[in-house]
Amino acid sequence: MANLYVRAAPTTDLNRNTEWFTYPGVWSTYILILFFSWLMVLSIFACSPGMAWTVVHLSHFFVTYQFFHWKKGTPFAEDQGIYNRLTWWEQIDSGKQLTRNRKFLTVVPIVLYLIASHTTDYQHPMLFFNTLAVFVLVVAKFPHMHKVRIFGINADQ
Amino acid sequence: MIIPYLTALTTYFSYGLLFAFGQLRDFFRKSVDWWSASTLQGYAPICLGLEDFYIRRLYLRIQDCFNRPISSPPDAWFDVVERVSNDNNKTLKRTTKVNRCLNLGSYNYLGFAAADEYCTPRVIECLKKYTPSTCSTRVDGGTTILHTEMEECVANFVGKPAAIVFGMGYVTNSAILPVLIGKGGLIISDSLNHNSIVNGARGSGATVRVFQHNTPSHLESVLREQIADGQPRTHRPWKKIIVVVEGIYSMEGELCKLPEIVSICKKYKAFVYLDEAHSIGAVGKSGRGVCELLGVDTADVDIMMGTFTKSFGSSGGYIAGSKELIQYLKYTCPAHLYATSISAPAAQQIISSIKVVLGEDGSSRGAQKLARIRENSNFFRSELQKMGFEVLGDNDSPVMPIMLYNPAKIPAFSRECLKRNVAVVTVAFPATPLLLARARICISASHSREDLLKALEVISTVGDMVGVKYFPAEPNKQQVEVGQVKKVD
Repeated sequence: MANLYVRAAPTTDLNRNTEWFTYPGVWSTYILILFFSWLMVLSIFACSPGMAWTVVHLSHFFVTYQFFHWKKGTPFAEDQGIYNRLTWWEQIDSGKQLTRNRKFLTVVPIVLYLIASHTTDYQHPMLFFNTLAVFVLVVAKFPHMHKVRIFGINADQ
Repeated sequence: MIIPYLTALTTYFSYGLLFAFGQLRDFFRKSVDWWSASTLQGYAPICLGLEDFYIRRLYLRIQDCFNRPISSPPDAWFDVVERVSNDNNKTLKRTTKVNRCLNLGSYNYLGFAAADEYCTPRVIECLKKYTPSTCSTRVDGGTTILHTEMEECVANFVGKPAAIVFGMGYVTNSAILPVLIGKGGLIISDSLNHNSIVNGARGSGATVRVFQHNTPSHLESVLREQIADGQPRTHRPWKKIIVVVEGIYSMEGELCKLPEIVSICKKYKAFVYLDEAHSIGAVGKSGRGVCELLGVDTADVDIMMGTFTKSFGSSGGYIAGSKELIQYLKYTCPAHLYATSISAPAAQQIISSIKVVLGEDGSSRGAQKLARIRENSNFFRSELQKMGFEVLGDNDSPVMPIMLYNPAKIPAFSRECLKRNVAVVTVAFPATPLLLARARICISASHSREDLLKALEVISTVGDMVGVKYFPAEPNKQQVEVGQVKKVD
């Protein structure tokens, strides 16, 4: 494993906030973090695997919604605020829709939902919360929702 | 760039962890601050949202690795002032202790940074005769005979009919691009261009497109797409197209693929703007820069820009081009019309150092310096690669970044080297992409062979300790031979 090398192709993305997502190894790291957090939840709470997946799915929902779809702008000031009105999701791939990265990020919550519902045997109330979470996340990632602020929630002053 | 896969995974994880901790601390800070009353009611916050997150939570933790003050001229060995922190690196205080360290970070390519036997007496004489500042802009009263002599000297050295010199290198790029091109024009710049070019391009009002770093095929496809499309909404043809590239990229140490780029630009009738900040004086047989090294005729490059801070030990920047271009710049460029002209001693340093490089001072020191920097860079780079470090950059380039990747290795490498009296510059975000943190080494002609060997020893020890030898080291053939000879005896 230590002898495996990957070649990093130079990107044309000037936005330093999003260009790290174009380098190799991001998708694997994302999946590995989800898997290890499931193991951690299982060991800390000593609950059933299904509950652990539900916990991972819901916390994934909160974390990704906050950082991908709620927080706007970039964590540094060098770009002089040109991305201040855009959330991270709207910034990646310079706003181009339906790229490979976007498709991957849309599939991950759906797969998590399927695993969580399957391992809890589709029981309520877990099914209700899981479905709500995946519905909100997937709708937020639609191409039609690019730069849309429903009822002015999270719009600028 | 070749990254070991496990390193990529651990680097993402480390940054994720640092980010998570930063958010957690911010959350607690916000809750604590909500309880204490603020004295400024009704004022807008200075930083909008998360703007200063990177500075507060990531940069300040390792602040002692950057901005180190020095107290001597930046020669091959210099004095680094020690700093202490009582609150975990949030504030640093200078002490009176200094360490004599080997300088591997200054852009001192030809060794003119310290006192030179030809340049310094002339500069001091000039300082006494002309005083430090001209106190005026070029058009008012700031053009002395030194300025005209210097511009001729620079134009001859670079190989162009005329040149114009400004007091500051950054300003040269950011004030010239808006003058050369405006709305309705197109600037195509390399993705790793310096901030001054990005600033100048944004300030010009022209449309800016970026092509993949040093990839002439991508430049050609971007040019074809843009010429076919035309201006953004009207689709009219572009008024002017300028392609901006650098001679040596300061963060990669790579040379630009100039012959291919120039031929593509000639084919599609775009202008070429070459920024030789790091390559003028440092590469090429007689020091004339990347055009000489790669065999490109200077008449093919329309605008050549460079700075005097790196190889000439002075300050300021120049633009060299045809006589009509320079005459035009002299009436329109705001840096020429409104900014104070370059100070006279700095101009004298430029003239004297160019004379030394060309051998016009009567000695062969210029040629010796050029040969030494080439030997030093090639020796150092090949030794580092033999040890197993991932070193970027082409042969003959005096800039060599050693890849670190993980955020924790940046302060570790920097502090351990400083403990052993070697001062290196580590570069992290935002000057480089988030994951590609590196330690950048700049070789100078004033480094002797002993200095380089000491540096290699220290870097090897620190590299082992920190774990940056990502490639397998080549076995030392000489040792094996000596062992065999001993056995025979």
